Amino acid sequence: MQSTTSGTGLAVGERSGPPEPVGPPPRRSSGRTWEWSLAGLLLAPNLILLIVFTYRPLLDNIRLSFTDWNISAPVANPVGFSNYIEWFGREDTRKVLSNTLIFTVATVGISMGLGLALAMLLDQRLRGRNIVRSVVFAPFVISGAAVGVAFQFVFDPSFGLVRDLLTRIGVAVPDFYQRPGWALFMVTFTYIWKTLGYSFVIYLAALQGRRADLDEAAEIDGASPWAHFRKVLLPQLRPTTFFLSITVLLSSVQVFDIINVMTRGGPVGNGTMTLVYQVYRETFVNLRAGYGATVATVMFLILLVVTIVQVRVMDRPQT
Amino acid sequence: MNQLTRRGLLGLAGTAGIAGLSACAGTGTSGSSDKAGGASNTIEFWSNHPGSSKPVEQQIIAAFQKENPGLTVKLVDAGKNYEEVAQKFNASLAGGQLPDVVVVSDVTWFNFALNKQLSKLDDLLGTAKVDTGDYVDALYNDYTYAGGHFALPYARSTPLFYYNKELWAKAGLEDRGPKDWAEFKEWSTALKAAVGSGKFAMELADGSNYLDWYFQNLAWDFGGAYSKEWQPTFSDPNTIKAGQFLQDLTKAGVIKYNATPEADFSAGLAGCILQSTGSLGGITKDAKFEFGTAFLPGTDNCPTGGAGVGVPANISDARKANAVKFAEFLTNPQNTVTFTQATGYMPVRKSAVELPEEKTFLEKNPNSKTAIDQLAHTRSQDNARVLLPGGGARIGKALDQIAQGQDVATVFKALDAESQQVFESQIKPKL
Repeated sequence: MQSTTSGTGLAVGERSGPPEPVGPPPRRSSGRTWEWSLAGLLLAPNLILLIVFTYRPLLDNIRLSFTDWNISAPVANPVGFSNYIEWFGREDTRKVLSNTLIFTVATVGISMGLGLALAMLLDQRLRGRNIVRSVVFAPFVISGAAVGVAFQFVFDPSFGLVRDLLTRIGVAVPDFYQRPGWALFMVTFTYIWKTLGYSFVIYLAALQGRRADLDEAAEIDGASPWAHFRKVLLPQLRPTTFFLSITVLLSSVQVFDIINVMTRGGPVGNGTMTLVYQVYRETFVNLRAGYGATVATVMFLILLVVTIVQVRVMDRPQT
Repeated sequence: MNQLTRRGLLGLAGTAGIAGLSACAGTGTSGSSDKAGGASNTIEFWSNHPGSSKPVEQQIIAAFQKENPGLTVKLVDAGKNYEEVAQKFNASLAGGQLPDVVVVSDVTWFNFALNKQLSKLDDLLGTAKVDTGDYVDALYNDYTYAGGHFALPYARSTPLFYYNKELWAKAGLEDRGPKDWAEFKEWSTALKAAVGSGKFAMELADGSNYLDWYFQNLAWDFGGAYSKEWQPTFSDPNTIKAGQFLQDLTKAGVIKYNATPEADFSAGLAGCILQSTGSLGGITKDAKFEFGTAFLPGTDNCPTGGAGVGVPANISDARKANAVKFAEFLTNPQNTVTFTQATGYMPVRKSAVELPEEKTFLEKNPNSKTAIDQLAHTRSQDNARVLLPGGGARIGKALDQIAQGQDVATVFKALDAESQQVFESQIKPKL
């Protein structure tokens, strides 16, 4: 429908903006200075905190990665790139990287996938859904150490719940604590259980804020449930998916408490050793803080690249 | 000018998060400031309360304060185990707020001494007129380096051989521990039959839970060792024999590994275990059957273990004097009896076992007496485990590999090379 007048009663084509200024132009420079000062004032507290507690330690960490610092020693001697050469040449590096990759991909993929599925289910009008929502979210607020201790009992090869269930159906009980593959499965499962609620609640919030008219339009057009999910829901969840992919990835890579409580990076020394746990092991167990800083720096670079790729991929225009 | 998009902002937040994550590794070496922190009339005692000893420690502190009205002792929860206490102490070395007395384990004390972060106690003990001759020699001398002592023994332990007496009777065995590992192997067939399916004749802690401590006894019994002084000897034929023995018994289904074998033993799922004297209290409480304790298999080859208390090097002389006064009180004959009766650790004073209350206690608790009798048959641990950084974890990993069937000689050869490399890079330059 076309109209010849706008809502203000002006004829189309007429200017509706503010009147042209008359006289000399305003002194913009003072206004800009004020804006910049205000911006600086507002940013300064956070910026100072970031510099002091994040970027300065980061630079310090990079500096230490080129030393042989024993964590108890008052001095650190420069060693050039030898820590990096050692890390790339060491036999256990591949194992640590593959553990980190498997753990991260599994936890990010499964917790986001399951979180979305649960969010879609509990977004329906179901009886008792609020209770179920609380139950799904609750593990997220429990400390990782407590979850680790609880799941030690769940997977205990002598008394555990898993043993009990498998024995009932006649399946041999794997030794979760002695077999590296099963140990990695155990800590991955435990971590997913703990963090599922986070993905769930973020997706649920996104689903509740979606455009109802698009759902109605899809229904009127007779879209199948799969087409509705793929063409209507997923595009609207894209920013949420991007946000989750970054935050869940970062928290997965940082996991420490559950591994420390359940396996201490073992069995067989590095069965569940991830990059973060290697930083801890090298720094506080082997006392090689310089080498630990090297692992941390490598991890920083890997994550930086991954995050840049994520940002680029998500920034691509949708087809 | 480019607009800062929501994605851009998220990207920035992600980068900051990554940066923060990487910054966690370590921040500097600027610490160890001279005469750091602390008031001279307050003694800060950092402990992990070994053997759930917090109430006993508080009791001893109250007695000390009563005897020394001008001094206050602040008991600090410094971690749940020895490693966490060491981490906190390392952080304080960088931060400057040092404790006055700190718990250091058999594995953690040496690195602090080597890097001049613990005080050499000999002069301080002399000034305080402490009778060091009353400390059990084997335990006191565990903290010797560069001609001095760097800690006083406090929560000291040895492994014990715990066995289920009912199972022993069922298997037709004498009521005692095996004389050596060869005899244990002879017994293993009868034990395996008696214990039944789904249970194991013996359970041992795995490599992440101090198997490296217990296995030392086995290596010594076969004539091997982890090291001779600083020379790693994992490839010694006798050490390899011990590793092969462990692997054979594992393959035969006699031995199972577990993070907490004492729990399975108390539940009747394992016929016997090697476990610290510090577990005696818990097993006595939990086991619903009669059990016995015995010396470790072999002769004079029981490793010592546990923890002592040290005094930081970079605190004032006045604080050091008070710290030594408290450390001596904490480990005096009366208090070592109080502490060990509550926890299961061993008295660290020779005269303690002559006190009437200790004699009565030992008469009533013969299992506790085993640890004290075994003390005369102990041996200081090999450097490769206790003095090389990360030694325990490194050996534990190798023993896990052996338990899972990897070639013993190959695993031990690699361990030799790794230990030698750690010695060359981290210890030798400082000796």
